[in-house]
Amino acid sequence: MQRDKFFKEIENVRHPNETLVKTHCSYCGMQCGMNLRVNTKTNKIIGVEPRYDWPVTVGKMCPKGVTAYQQTNHDDRILKPLIRDDASLKGTKEGFREATWDEAYSLIAKKFGELQNKYGKDTLSVFSGVSMTNEKCYLTGKFARVAMQTRYIDYNGRFCMSSAAGGFLRSFGVDRGSTLPWTDLHETDCLFIAGSNTAECHPTSMFRVWAVQERGGYLIVADPRETPIARRADVHLDLRPGTDLALANGILNLLIQNGYADAEFVTNHTNGFEETKELVKEFTPEYTSEITGVAPEKIIRAAEIYGKAPNAVVMFARGIEQQHKGVDNVSAYTNMALVTGKIGRPKSGVATFTGQGNGQGGREHGQKSDLLPGYRKITNPKHVEEVCQVWGITPEEMPQPGVSAYEMFELMEQKTIRAMYLLCSNPAVSAPNLNFVRKAMKGLDFMVCADFYLSESAEFADVILPTVTWSEDEGTVTNLEGRIIKINKAQEPLGESKPDWQIQAELAEYLGRGKYFSHLKTARDVADEFRLASKGGYADYYGATWDKIDKQDGVFWPCKDEEDKGTPHMFLDKKFYHPDGKAKICALPYRPPAEEPDEDYPLRLTTGRVVYHYLSGNQTRRIQFLRDMCPEPYVEVHPETAAKYNIEHEEFVRLFTRRGEAEYKVKITEAIRKDTVFVPYHFGHDKSINLLTIAALDPMSRMPEFKACAAQIEKLELKKVQ
Amino acid sequence: MKKRLYLELENCIGCRSCLAACTQCGGHEERNRNYVYDVNPLVNRQTMPLMCLHCVNPACARSCPAQAIQIHETGAVLSALVEKCIGCQNCTIACPYGIPKFDTEQNLMYKCDLCIDRTKDGIPPMCASVCPSNTLQWLTDEEIEAKQKQFNLDNGKWVTSMPYLEGETNVRVNLPGILQGVTKLF
Ligand code: SF4
Ligand code: SF4
Ligand code: SF4
Ligand code: SF4
Repeated sequence: MQRDKFFKEIENVRHPNETLVKTHCSYCGMQCGMNLRVNTKTNKIIGVEPRYDWPVTVGKMCPKGVTAYQQTNHDDRILKPLIRDDASLKGTKEGFREATWDEAYSLIAKKFGELQNKYGKDTLSVFSGVSMTNEKCYLTGKFARVAMQTRYIDYNGRFCMSSAAGGFLRSFGVDRGSTLPWTDLHETDCLFIAGSNTAECHPTSMFRVWAVQERGGYLIVADPRETPIARRADVHLDLRPGTDLALANGILNLLIQNGYADAEFVTNHTNGFEETKELVKEFTPEYTSEITGVAPEKIIRAAEIYGKAPNAVVMFARGIEQQHKGVDNVSAYTNMALVTGKIGRPKSGVATFTGQGNGQGGREHGQKSDLLPGYRKITNPKHVEEVCQVWGITPEEMPQPGVSAYEMFELMEQKTIRAMYLLCSNPAVSAPNLNFVRKAMKGLDFMVCADFYLSESAEFADVILPTVTWSEDEGTVTNLEGRIIKINKAQEPLGESKPDWQIQAELAEYLGRGKYFSHLKTARDVADEFRLASKGGYADYYGATWDKIDKQDGVFWPCKDEEDKGTPHMFLDKKFYHPDGKAKICALPYRPPAEEPDEDYPLRLTTGRVVYHYLSGNQTRRIQFLRDMCPEPYVEVHPETAAKYNIEHEEFVRLFTRRGEAEYKVKITEAIRKDTVFVPYHFGHDKSINLLTIAALDPMSRMPEFKACAAQIEKLELKKVQ
Repeated sequence: MKKRLYLELENCIGCRSCLAACTQCGGHEERNRNYVYDVNPLVNRQTMPLMCLHCVNPACARSCPAQAIQIHETGAVLSALVEKCIGCQNCTIACPYGIPKFDTEQNLMYKCDLCIDRTKDGIPPMCASVCPSNTLQWLTDEEIEAKQKQFNLDNGKWVTSMPYLEGETNVRVNLPGILQGVTKLF
């Protein structure tokens, strides 16, 4: 299926005493195919071999993928449950002792029970993540509500995909990250990419991106930095961080003014055009330029190219989404496709670059504070009823909606939440405004962390439960296309580690809720229950059986039954998911970033990733090759700005905002705006840039504004590097 | 069908996946044999890989007094034979691109062997397999010829050829600037 010009039949190298296990990378939403090399004598993973037959990535991997296998048998793996009796050591690595699973489970059940007796059921919380299988994500939602019986569950997608989800829901009535398969991308005529450092964050998209230009197509990139993809763009819209909404409105205005709107499509398949047309009128190239700092000619040229292109794809990522108007940005860029009708057909559409491996699937099945499996709403009695039937509880037993990820830390601070079960996430590095977040974690009465390495967040835990890596369990994930794919098990769990679903099923027993979980003995058992729970929801996975995934090279949801082959292209029938079948063109007034530069903090701070690290770096900072390539963070400064502060390349500076400060080595580069500085966010303790970032939340997605705040630099005189 | 390593330097995104992949090839002892350079690090993010070009008449092998550098029948210029290499480092100086690396502990030269345990069976080298940007590709001569036609540069010098190189190479290199010759769709 979807084999294109990049696909070649290639045999893999097979060494003696080795088998190859087909699977996908553990990290980003690309979910590149890979084969893990397993030694048949030791039954251990020993290396990687390209998976040429995976149609999306045809053997390609970024350096994270190539070295991903080194996580499994790494010296830093936690092999037994750990307990820390001395709470005064919280916030350090010290004081943990090994324990049995029984002791750890018993302690957790005792503490959770005591706290719930004293403060009520909702004193507990679950903070989860989406770098794990759908099965685990699904069960975590059930575990929180049925076993822990708390309303407070949320997940790290609030720092990642929630704005894209909110924007797509509003524009399309459905949240599938891409309206078309990636195998279409190289055949489009124009890629409009906003706020995505694609070459570093989703590198294996790049051969398709370059292929568009090789064919004579166009590449337009909106980014405050001249990233490797922006370097080769036909038009680089070098905007001020946090001003995307103005840029999108400005381009939409030009598309409408210059006759590129598709009147028939707009009339038949959308609502909201007239109102939006009125609103964007104000955004002339000059006015847009004033706000964004992008030259008017570039805005005009970008609109002309996108307007003329027979087929075009609008793409974006965290750059536009991690803002306190992230949802508006998503809908505003999506407007471009809706107004011109470049959607609902092959080679045209809208896509977000999903950050985490299962950022798509993990947000659909009930880890979000207000969602249940199949993208059902916890506030909709019918939805609750449907899920209760699968779970075997009564609707009265279903907890209320909780609050978003960052807001949970606020409730911890206020002692509304007194305990946390943390898994698959490292908020002590990845949350914004870290001084506050770390204090909230430290102040918890009791904290459990399930992880395979001792992360910065695990340093705040009382109990650490050793989980497996992705290669020691099986299940499905949903990649950035919306394609459900299969992760396969290549090795038995190291030491006493266990998959999260097994831990949760066992712990449920200790919490006195075993009867709801005891039938789940294998990952496949969880998969079967999960498919059933999603059935009838609009993220319907019922028909996505493991067999079908294997046969078809993945299954695009929605996939309703055994016969349904899935849905690679969305909206081919021009039917959107709002009740009237129409998409919504949104009129979105511009709002500046929550914190604008001023005299005391004249610079704009933005954050992002480097190609060598993934999220908080808890995994990738431990891999020798990746650490060698990027051992520490740095601050990128334009040479003219550096000259003003009298700082030179590789000197150290103190970077500070109203919320915190950190010291960084300076990297001088002309490939950034003069008013902007950039720091990668993968680093812990006093190197975390999130000590400085602002927790201004989007009103709809509750996404913090990681991508723009006001900062100042101070040169550090003494700390010169040798 | 004979295939060659083909480099399209304009595509490089500096991800250094080729370096990571090189450590993964059988017999490479987890040490990479290729390089990626920041072309102008204080100015922009342009990068490019520096690979052994597998010269037809390789200076490295010619300079070796011990005949430690063998040429495989596929044309691949192999890494020094452990039992023959005397550690003189002549090759590291002789190679015009500074490709051979030297292990001072083992007193032994090591270099790109074009992943000979793969390419001898027609399987692409590790670096060209993983390269996310198609900077490194493993192509037939016909495919390379098609590329040559596609990217018809003004000066006719689309690949590194004399006088840019020392001599003929098995690897084909497409210099930065290929897009100049592309006709836009609209
Ligand atoms: S990190 Fe992403 S791009 Fe890199 S190999 Fe893994 S899935 Fe592919
Ligand atoms: S893998 Fe390819 S894109 Fe990445 S650095 Fe090497 S040559 Fe460049
Ligand atoms: S590029 Fe250098 S190392 Fe490679 S064959 Fe030619 S002379 Fe030898
Ligand atoms: S061809 Fe093989 S040995 Fe040579 S640089 Fe590439 S991966 Fe390394």
